[in-house]
Amino acid sequence: MKKMVSFAVGAMLAAAMSVSVCAQPVEEVIRQAEEMSLQELYQKAIEESDGKRFDAVGNSGRGQIVLPLLVEELQKIDPSYRLDYEGGWQQPKENKIFDQLTEDIEGSNHIMSMTLIQDGNQVKSKMMDTGLLLNFVPKDWREAEGVARDGNENPLVVQTLNKVFMFNNQGKKTWKNMWDFVRDGEAPLFMGVNSEPINKNFLYMMTDDEYAAIAKEAYEAWDGKNKEYDDLIEDMKLDAEDLGLEGENVQYSLAWDCLWCEKYNAQTDDAPICNTLASASAKDQTGLLVYSKIRNIEETAQSSVNNITIAAYQDDYVGIGGFAYKHYLMIPKTSPLPWTACAMIAFMTTTREGFSPWGKDMGGYSPNPVCNQDHSKDGGDQFPAKNDRGYDWWIHQGKLVVEDPAYCASVSGAMSDWIDGIVADR
Amino acid sequence: MSKPKAGRSGFLKPVQNRIRTFFSKPQNVILLVLGIVLTISTIYPMLTIVRDTIRLHPGSIDASANAAASQKELLGTTVTGYNWTNLFTDTITTRVGRRRVTQSVASVYLWTPLLNSVLVSVFACLGAILYGGIFAYLVTRTDLKWKRYLSSVFIFPYIMPQWTLAMLWKSLFNSNAASGGSDGLFASVLGLYLPKWWCEGLFPVSVVLALHYAPFAYILIGGIFRNMDASLEEAAMILNTPGWKTFLRVTLPLVKPAILSTVLLVFSSAMGSYPVPHYLKLNTLSTQYVEMNASRAGQASILAVIMMLFGFLILIINQRTTSGRANYTTVTGKSGQRSLVKLGAAKYVLTALFTVLTMMTGILPVVMFATETFLPNPGDYSFLTHGLSGNTTLKWWVTREPAAESGMYGQKGILFNPQILNAFKGTFFLAVACALLAGTIGLLIGYCVSKNRRSKWAAYVNQIAFLPYLMPSLAVGAAFFVFGSSAGIYNTFLLLILAGTVKYIPFASRSALNSMMQLSGEIEEAAIIQDIPWWKRMLCIVIPIQKTSIISGYLLPFMTCLRELTLFMLLCGQGKIITTMLSYYDEMGLYAFSSGINLILVVLILIINTLVNLLTGASIDSGISGSGENRKKKNSNCSG
Repeated sequence: MKKMVSFAVGAMLAAAMSVSVCAQPVEEVIRQAEEMSLQELYQKAIEESDGKRFDAVGNSGRGQIVLPLLVEELQKIDPSYRLDYEGGWQQPKENKIFDQLTEDIEGSNHIMSMTLIQDGNQVKSKMMDTGLLLNFVPKDWREAEGVARDGNENPLVVQTLNKVFMFNNQGKKTWKNMWDFVRDGEAPLFMGVNSEPINKNFLYMMTDDEYAAIAKEAYEAWDGKNKEYDDLIEDMKLDAEDLGLEGENVQYSLAWDCLWCEKYNAQTDDAPICNTLASASAKDQTGLLVYSKIRNIEETAQSSVNNITIAAYQDDYVGIGGFAYKHYLMIPKTSPLPWTACAMIAFMTTTREGFSPWGKDMGGYSPNPVCNQDHSKDGGDQFPAKNDRGYDWWIHQGKLVVEDPAYCASVSGAMSDWIDGIVADR
Repeated sequence: MSKPKAGRSGFLKPVQNRIRTFFSKPQNVILLVLGIVLTISTIYPMLTIVRDTIRLHPGSIDASANAAASQKELLGTTVTGYNWTNLFTDTITTRVGRRRVTQSVASVYLWTPLLNSVLVSVFACLGAILYGGIFAYLVTRTDLKWKRYLSSVFIFPYIMPQWTLAMLWKSLFNSNAASGGSDGLFASVLGLYLPKWWCEGLFPVSVVLALHYAPFAYILIGGIFRNMDASLEEAAMILNTPGWKTFLRVTLPLVKPAILSTVLLVFSSAMGSYPVPHYLKLNTLSTQYVEMNASRAGQASILAVIMMLFGFLILIINQRTTSGRANYTTVTGKSGQRSLVKLGAAKYVLTALFTVLTMMTGILPVVMFATETFLPNPGDYSFLTHGLSGNTTLKWWVTREPAAESGMYGQKGILFNPQILNAFKGTFFLAVACALLAGTIGLLIGYCVSKNRRSKWAAYVNQIAFLPYLMPSLAVGAAFFVFGSSAGIYNTFLLLILAGTVKYIPFASRSALNSMMQLSGEIEEAAIIQDIPWWKRMLCIVIPIQKTSIISGYLLPFMTCLRELTLFMLLCGQGKIITTMLSYYDEMGLYAFSSGINLILVVLILIINTLVNLLTGASIDSGISGSGENRKKKNSNCSG
């Protein structure tokens, strides 16, 4: 009996140790990998994953395009290297990426080696605070010249994307101020705040001091302001108190958020919004959508990129030009191929080739300038809306509202219901 | 010492004999095994979703309320009543019409979607019964023209993925003036601007779902009309009863079971529909479930539980109204007489009317799908106003190098797209697996229940097998999602096959049960006397005789699986099967891809249905109704 008990205890201890051994190396691998160059990581990846299966999950399907590029790089070192990645890059629907990752990490069968994930709020509260996903910052990225480390390091950002205000210019109305988009009679086309949660993050971020100040400045410069709006803004001080927001100008942001939620016309995706705005019949329609979508319009008698004006590109435009959200690269704490994941992340964030699936198109910006391509002349004189003015312009002149996971997570608990209440009543 | 032994042996022997006798009958063994398996596969996923309502979800509202514990600790925490108490008792302060108001949480997240779901389900039932029922009457009991053609085209909306009609509705009726955005076909070509309530919300959702499910009503009600004893109506006529009175007092009561069956089937299906309300902008329990998942995961599961309760309610109603034996597709009369009502001049008017209606719901979508695949931009009908040249394209079909064409979003043309091909393969594999499993299990249930008609266990197995059908698809999907995630089989074919099989067993079991009920026991008894083993009796006697109904029992899960989205959308990534891929393209506004896939799907289903029909006589219609002409022909053969 004693033997049986000691055997059982031994077995349990061994099982427990094997779990901790499995969990430990990923953190340890990351610690070591952060001190290695890209070439050293390639070597480690070859040793680890030759002939094995690589699975990952991402909000952007383009991760699938990076995998063969990485394999090509590794084969330059070892021509016999093989990686089985066919169909291994999954793109779950309906915000299920968080559930899928959680179950993969907490379950007994771990297959996900890395993730490309968006929605800083959920990344922070569901993945980072719980320790399910680990951050890896490549040495070459840290040491590269001109890298925008601030706000892009933890979690590591592979790209920042912008959603910008646009309007169909075939009508007579004009939009010269961020408040024009929420004046009476407007119904801007926008993906729902809950169908793509980064859109809700934008509304959270609006209450940050920096953007509240812009909202106030824009309101004061707005020719449409009147007593009704003044009263609403004043009244929003009570809401700010309820929501625990203490910024000096936060009432301006809340008023803008409230009007936006009341008015936006929910659509299933940014692509159909773009197609709509490009149509000659969509007179006086506006939208807030991913900038790069306009590259997909084919010129016909009915549709043209020239039917669209990018609001912030107008010289006399006042206020925010849209918002920026980010794609983060992270490693599950149970990653079966952590070295390969580190090599892939380093490849994507420190080389032009690795970032090319995103970098080749306008509207997606790596914090590492080495990776970015110039799109400032994509449209030439014929289609000026396609001439991307670049990350720096958008952040400073275009005044994009930039997602900050920590801030979103800190206000989402209270603000989410407030927003849902307004949306439900529309 | 020997007495008690003898006593025990005396007590055990009859029990042993009874057990031996019980297990000597294959139907008993099968029922026992299937009862246990189905109870686990049906009830366990449901229990997991109930459990999910009392779990803590890091990053969700229930976790915020437990802020004292760190997020890491929350992962291990199991029980909380917060989701229930918060949803039903708490309030939030928000803005309604820009006024500050304090509302209950339920009024923001529950009551409106619940009301909308119930209204949509009721209107979809009414619409399906009226449209399908009238059509069934005209086809089976009158001298309407072109019956064969109309009958074939009428079931097209059921064959197509349900949201394709919703997409069609949008591209026809949307307008800058009413729904915002660009003009649809009616506005741009005809200059006809319809009001907003027509373009989005309760009305179009109800109409689209009614059109999608009208073939149900047609097949179920038509099955009874087709076999109804005309002498009953003739007797009324001889007694000088007015036509309307005959209809109300004689005809209608006879089709009442079929109407009730339609209500039962359509109500839960409409309630569980996600894509139609999603695309036509109505907030229902299904859409709310998906929207709440990010920040209120536990409460989203409560919505799924509420949808399931509707399923249970419908099951109880079904049981009450069918008196234990769930004969919802029963053909009540078998008359040799059938006289057709002469419509006179109305015959031509009604033929024209239904030709137009079926064209709109059956042919037009197919034409629109085909057209969409040649448009340069989604919904860009420039070719209608400016000619074909430069305003049409083949790029959606034949592009091999997506970077060279605008608007392809990195996708190759449909004919060369490996993702679409893989998704088709996945769907085909899933449909075949579900059809084989559901069809076989359904056949066994049908057979065994018909052999043990008075057994309570058989009745239980029959009900538990039917239960998933009465559950809204999204609720079943949500239950299997929670179950699959915790079992580590999310995004695997195993989970999809499991969910599909459980959901589609009712198709096969009902079809099989109805056909087995008509088999005379004498046929098998003769074989039993000759000591022919059970499996041989099944393969050589039972299955060949009822092969048409049995094949229909396989065909229906197969067809339904091919175009199912709501059930599977929570269970896998978007590239796994063709409907999730299709939905992805629709979401992305890549209507050319989704239309092309739809076109291929519809043609594929029609070809398979026609082939199976030609080879075996089985078809979708006979599968749903479990009745029809084939049945009538067979009855004379099977009664011994």
